[in-house]
Parts: sequence; structure tokens; C-alpha cells
Amino acid sequence: MMPLHFKRLGLAGALLMVLAACASSNPAGSIDAVSQLTQAQTGMPLRLVSDAEGQAARQAAVRELLAKPVDAAAAVKLAMLNNRSVQISLAGLGVAQAELAQAGRIENPTFSFARVRSGDEVEYERAFKIDLLGVLFIPWRQGMASQQLDRAKLQAASDITRLALDTRKAWVNAVATRQSEQYLADVNEAAEASAMLAKRMLEAGNFSRLAYTREQAYYADASAQLARARQASVVAREALTRLLGLSGQEAAALVLPERLPDLPVAPKPFAGSVQAAVSLRHDLQMARFELDALARSLGLSRATRLVNALEVSYLRSDSNEGHRARGYELELQIPLFDWGDAKVARAEAIYLGAVNKAADIGIRAESELRSSYHGYRTHYDLARHYRDQVVPLRKAIAEENVLRYNGMLIGVFELLADAREQVGSVNAYLAALKAFWEADADLEMAITAGSPPAAGSMELAASPTPAAAGH
Amino acid sequence: MTNRRDFLHGAAAGLLGAATVSRVGAASLPEAAIQTSPTMQPPLQPTSGRPYNPVVTLNGWTLPWRMKNGWKEFHLVAEPVVREIAPGMKANLWGYNGQSPGPTIECVEGDKVRIFVTNKLPEHTTVHWHGILLPNGMDGVGGLNQPQIKPGKTFVYEFEMTKSGTFMYHPHADEMTQMAMGMMGFLVVHPKNPAFMRVDRDYVFLINAYDIDPGSYTPRVNTMTDFNLWTWNSRAFPGIDTLVARTNERVRIRIGNLTMTNHPIHLHGVDFEVTCTDGGWVPKSARWPEVTTDVAVGQMRAIEFVANRPGDWAFHCHKSHHTMNAMGHDVPNMIGVDHRGIVEKIQKLVPDYMVMGERGMADMGEMEMPLPDNTLPMMTGMGQFGPIEMGGMFTTFKVRDNQKTGDYKDPGPYQYPKGTVAYEWTGELAEPTRAPAPAADEKTVTVIKPNGHSGH
Repeated sequence: MMPLHFKRLGLAGALLMVLAACASSNPAGSIDAVSQLTQAQTGMPLRLVSDAEGQAARQAAVRELLAKPVDAAAAVKLAMLNNRSVQISLAGLGVAQAELAQAGRIENPTFSFARVRSGDEVEYERAFKIDLLGVLFIPWRQGMASQQLDRAKLQAASDITRLALDTRKAWVNAVATRQSEQYLADVNEAAEASAMLAKRMLEAGNFSRLAYTREQAYYADASAQLARARQASVVAREALTRLLGLSGQEAAALVLPERLPDLPVAPKPFAGSVQAAVSLRHDLQMARFELDALARSLGLSRATRLVNALEVSYLRSDSNEGHRARGYELELQIPLFDWGDAKVARAEAIYLGAVNKAADIGIRAESELRSSYHGYRTHYDLARHYRDQVVPLRKAIAEENVLRYNGMLIGVFELLADAREQVGSVNAYLAALKAFWEADADLEMAITAGSPPAAGSMELAASPTPAAAGH
Repeated sequence: MTNRRDFLHGAAAGLLGAATVSRVGAASLPEAAIQTSPTMQPPLQPTSGRPYNPVVTLNGWTLPWRMKNGWKEFHLVAEPVVREIAPGMKANLWGYNGQSPGPTIECVEGDKVRIFVTNKLPEHTTVHWHGILLPNGMDGVGGLNQPQIKPGKTFVYEFEMTKSGTFMYHPHADEMTQMAMGMMGFLVVHPKNPAFMRVDRDYVFLINAYDIDPGSYTPRVNTMTDFNLWTWNSRAFPGIDTLVARTNERVRIRIGNLTMTNHPIHLHGVDFEVTCTDGGWVPKSARWPEVTTDVAVGQMRAIEFVANRPGDWAFHCHKSHHTMNAMGHDVPNMIGVDHRGIVEKIQKLVPDYMVMGERGMADMGEMEMPLPDNTLPMMTGMGQFGPIEMGGMFTTFKVRDNQKTGDYKDPGPYQYPKGTVAYEWTGELAEPTRAPAPAADEKTVTVIKPNGHSGH
């Protein structure tokens, strides 16, 4: 504490004004920054709801989105508006922002007045105290708080992107399970027709009890499968409802489209994914940013120049089998240079730790991108294979079988068994399409928010269900 | 093949329908004529050798020959062929000289014949002369009597026809496959005396059967019993030629069976007698009248009669499933099964579905439903009174007062004299008294109650 006399106050006050001017406690700027980071995945600006007016606006937006069948983009918007974790992330930004503002402020000056009486003499002492050392540290404190805010922004962006992509996957799952349920309902209906006809055949004396019972058993199985599919459909819808933060009437009002979106005409190229990841992926950004900040704080100005590069090159080769091999290099240049002076040994140790952490993140990101892209591409090819090969083949078989039925070469029960198999192939296509859209979200996660869930556990589309047992 | 056929089509115009053409340049070999038209060719009147009354082959033809130093020389070429089974269906078969069955070989009792056999099949073959009495080395059993004729090779069979009668030829090398592919032909030895057993019209055909999966073209050769195409000279109704006769002509029909089952051949409108088998002529005292004669596997029968009743008479195998084309043997019987409330459900999954067989199968004969490629309807054909509802081994024998002698053309539908066709009774119809039908009881039909799966 350094008491100052009044006459010096003018100068000190001017200094304080300068120091404290830059930091505001309003997080709007930070929220805008996070909005921009997440815009591609969320499709909308983010808003911290802090008053009744904001709340009303949010409710209106939710109502508007729920008025139509909710597609994937609308589902993500709903989650952004409604899911509380978005508000928690944004509120966290407010905290970091406030801390930054606080860091720019000098502790309140103290004014003291003392009256000391010594015999007849009365002495008045007036003092104005200010934490001058604190003032001197303001730039450093602000630097720390600013870093903290930047970290918070990236963390919020990562969390929000993850939520957006999780929502998209939940939406895909909800639509697909519903669609699958409808296909199984068709299978069930075919089984029901067979069972009804078998019953009439038995009644007319044209079917044995064995033949009749086989059809009934198949119908019973199909009904059980349908019940399971309905359960899966409800579970998937509820999982989505939770992510959308819907309750009560809003949850009931949620209408999903009948079908998953079609497969894109062409798959995304791998190079694009890598390029995007280098500039977008939040953990890479954070690592780069921290390394940069560390270098600056340690006075390693040369280092920042060198660490700057997370370079990407895209490798592509065509083999004679028509298979296109794709690869790339994601290169994190790690600056190791002669530190020269033993005085900076501590700084070196800290810096090296950070460099290795960044390198680790780089390696992980690289592998995750490869793995996610492979999943994306495999599911794209599989879905296309089902759509362009398996389903048309089944359809052609079904058409041929109708011709055979016309010619009394096969009976109606064979025709129905085949129709069930055809539905099964459509269902398998649906499963492949669902896997593709999930892989698409995972790839986007690997490009932006960070590690996608359990890379490598690829579910391949199952064989047509249910098997035509006994036919 | 294609080039040769194209050439043939061009040449046929100038050959008055007898689409025969030389294709062997070698001077030492007699020409191997081919025939691609599936319609019946007029009888080949002999221009050399001993005189005889030629036969007519249903949907077929007779192989030309040449005389050389007292030998009657024929040239058979075993080769893959495409045979129209009936309009709308073709089959990839093996045969001789462009067709399955091969051309009919006709010769005369006492002829010395030399038959060249060129193998253009992908595998070896032989020819066995079924029923002919000949030297053992000419009998054509591969391995047993001769080495097989390898692809591209030509063998020569030489023997004397010691007796007249009704015979056939077929391979005796990979026999099952080659016969399932259609390799066979008719062989007639006419009596030395043309007046012996003389008839006005002498028809010949072989009975054969194929198993061709609907939608495909090539027979499945390993089928043992479940054939789906029952044919005469590799033709099925409505592709089989009509047999014709002028009223009161004496007609002979010679039939050989190279399928794997027997065929009770039935001709409407006449009594006939079997006058010849592959063993020879049947003495008059041993013949008995029939309207159906069973032609067992590997047998030949010649029936004779006087065609004395004008009209369009059915002529068919009496195994009723042999007068059908391909059908599903496992198709459940839908007769009497109520389809109400089910059709809509099925149509939801199979939009083109329609109920068939609920009342019986006659609808099939009238409906023209889209069928698999290259597939004949199970029952088909239209007559002047409606659908004929036949397939397979069915044709008509048409007797007309004004059919010209030697004219084999189909005279068209029979013009019935007034009052000679069955007619509908339009008068009063009293409900006839009927015996009560036995009631269904627990044992005949058990009704199962719905068991509630629809709740799911």
C-alpha cells in the first residue's frame, strides 16, 4: 500500500482510466464469437436468454419450428434454442468475460481520515490509498483472463457443436427407427394376409393343419418383431426429445419426417475434410492457441513463428483396380531450437510439455479423421450399394415372381414370402442410409468438435429381416 | 450358324418353301441339307431309288439323299439348334440338320444305306438305329459297338434295310443329356411293294419332353420325372401342326416315344388299330380296335383308321397334365377359398396381384396375363366357340369332305351343319331332386378361431 497525496491524484487517475478502459463485462461479443465458430453445425446465432423478453422470443421460435415436420436442421435449431446445456455454456462465457473485466480493474482506492490528538495538538491525517503494484500487474492479469476467455469460448464452441451433432444423430435414429417400424408393419401385414388366407384354406379343406400352422407361426413372429421395432422407435424419439429440451405439449407436438434424407449425389472428398479440420477442429485450435500464448508469455517470440504450422498435404493415387487410395499428411511442426540460456530451462520444460501435448492432439486428430472418413465413405458406398444393387435386384425378383404367379407357376404364399423379403431389403437399405448419416455426423465431429464417439465400431447393415423361415 | 441361316433365308424364296441347301463342298460327302422352318414340309416324293409312298412329319421334314453306286447316302449333322416350341417360346436344343428332332429318314426295304454322321456338338456322340436289324458294329452304342464320334469328326454307318417298318434314331453316347437336349429322329423303312399296307396319308412324329425353367431357354438335362413341357416333335400346343384328311381316306399315324414316361395317345372320332410297332407289322388277326393306345417308353406305334367323320377332332395324350404347358406343381389349390378382405392386404405389398384359382383354373385359358419371358401359358388356344384351354401334347385332326388329296394345309375351323352342335336348353327347368350331400363334421374341417396376433 502506498499512500499518495492528493496532489498526485490527477496523474494516477489518468493512468487508471487508460488501464481499465478496454475490458467490458458484457459477454455478447464472446457469444458472437462462439456463434461464428459453431454456425456451420448449428445454423443459427446463439443467444443467452436472460430476461422475460428473451424467453418469450425463444418460445415463439420453438413453436414456429414445431409447426412443421422437424427436419435435421430444425432439430439442431431446436436443441440450440431449448437444450439447457447451451445456456450453461453461454453462461460460462459470461463468467469468463466478467473475470476479464475484473482483471482490468484496479482495486477500489481507499480513502482514510485520521484525527490524532496529542495533548492540545490535534493532527488530521487524510490519505488516499491505491494498489499501485496491482495496477502494474493489470496487463498481465488481463492477459491471463483473456486467455481464459478464449479457452472458454473454444470449450463452449466444442460443447455446442457436439450437442448439435448428437442432436443430428438422434434425429437420424428417430426417423430411421420410425421408418423401420413402418416397414415391419408392412411385413406384418403380409404375414397377416398369409395367415388369414391359410385360415380360410384350412376352413375350405385345402390346407393341412401343418401348412396352416406354419403361416400362423410366421405371423406370430412378425408381430413380435413389430412390437420390438415400435419400442425401438419410441426410445429413439424420446432420446431426441430430451436433446431438443422438449416437454409436455411441445414434446407431443414434435412431428418427424416420414423418411431419411436421400444419399448425397457424391460423397464429400477427403481433402476437404482435412482442410476443414485444420482450421476448425477446436482441440487443435486450443492447442495451437495455448502453445502460442505460452511461447509469448515465456518470451519465446521466435517459437510462435515456427509452431504456427499444422500443415496438410493430400495424397491421392489411383490403382489399376479402380480403387482410389486416399491419404494425407497432417504435419505438426514442432520447433526445437537452441534455447541458449540456462536461465530459461524452466521455460523450456514447460514449453516442451505443451509442444508434446499439441503433437499428441495432432496425431489423434489425424487418425480420427482417417477413421471417420473411412466410416463415412464405407457407409456411403454401402448405402448406395443397397439402393442401386440390392433393392433393385429384389424388386426385379418380385416382378419376376408376379409373372410366375400369373402363370400359375408359383402360389400366392410364395408371392407373399417374396414380398416380405423385398421389404426386408428396403429395410436393409434404410439401415445402411441411417448408418451413413450417423457416420456423416461423426465425420463432422472429427472435423470440428474433436474426437467422435468410439471410432471403429462400425455397424454394418443387417441382412433382410425377418428371415423367411419355413418358406 | 447365323451367316448360314441368313444365307438360307435369302435362298429359300427361290426354293418353293423347301428350305434345303447344300453346305458340304467335299465331293465325297452327300450334301447335308438343313431345315429351319418349324412347319410341316410336304412329303418328299422319291426321285431316285425304289418307289414308295412318302410320310409326312409333323412340324418336320424328310432328309434328302443321293444314290451312289447302288447305295442310298444320307448326311446327318449333329449340332446345337434353336427350336420354336410354339409361337412365343424358343428353346436351345441339340438336334440334327438345323432342327430338333432331326429330319425323318425314309428308305425302302432292301435299300443299302450309308449314313454319314458329322458331329458339330461340343461333345462326342453316336447314332443308334432303334429297331433296325443290322450288323452289331453299326448299332451305335458308344464304347460297346464303336468309338464315339468326337466333335468335328464324321463317321459312316452302312447297313442294309432288311425289313420295312417304323423306327427311330437317337444318340447312344451321353444318352440322357443328348436326348434331354432333343437329339432324336424318325426312321421309316417303306415296304418294297408300295401297295403293301398302303394308306392315303402317313403321318409321323416323336413324343418328347423337356424341363425348361419358365423364363429360360435351355432344358435342364438331369430332370427325371418333373418335366414341364410335353411335346410332339419338340412342339407344344398351339404350336403342333394340324393333321388333316379327306373324308374316307385311310390314315396312318406313326408315333415314337422317347420321353421317360408312357403316353396314352387318344384320337377322337374314330376307332383305330395298331398296325405296326418298332418290331414290325402287326398281323391283322392280332389287331384290336382302340381309341387310345399307350405308347410306352422307347416304343413305337402306328395306328390306322379310315377318317370317315368330318369335323375337328381332338388328338392328344390322355394324361391330362401332358396337355398343359409349364405349371407350378406346388401351387396350392385355392378352389372355394374366400378371399374377401385379403386381396387388398396383398395388393398393398404386391400391387399387381389378382386372385386366381378361387373357382378353378379355367380363367387361365381366357386371361392374357404377363408371363415370364419365353414362357407359354399353362393353358391356351382359342377355338371357334371359346378358349380351348390346352397346352403340351394336343392338336386337332381335321377331316373334310373337300380336302384335296395330297393337300396338308389346315382347312380352318369346321363349318358345323345346322343342328349338329350341342346347345343350351332354354326351356323350363325344374329343380332336380338331389341326394343330400354329406355334411362336414369335426373330422373333415376344423375351423380355427383367430388367435389375437392382430393386437400387436
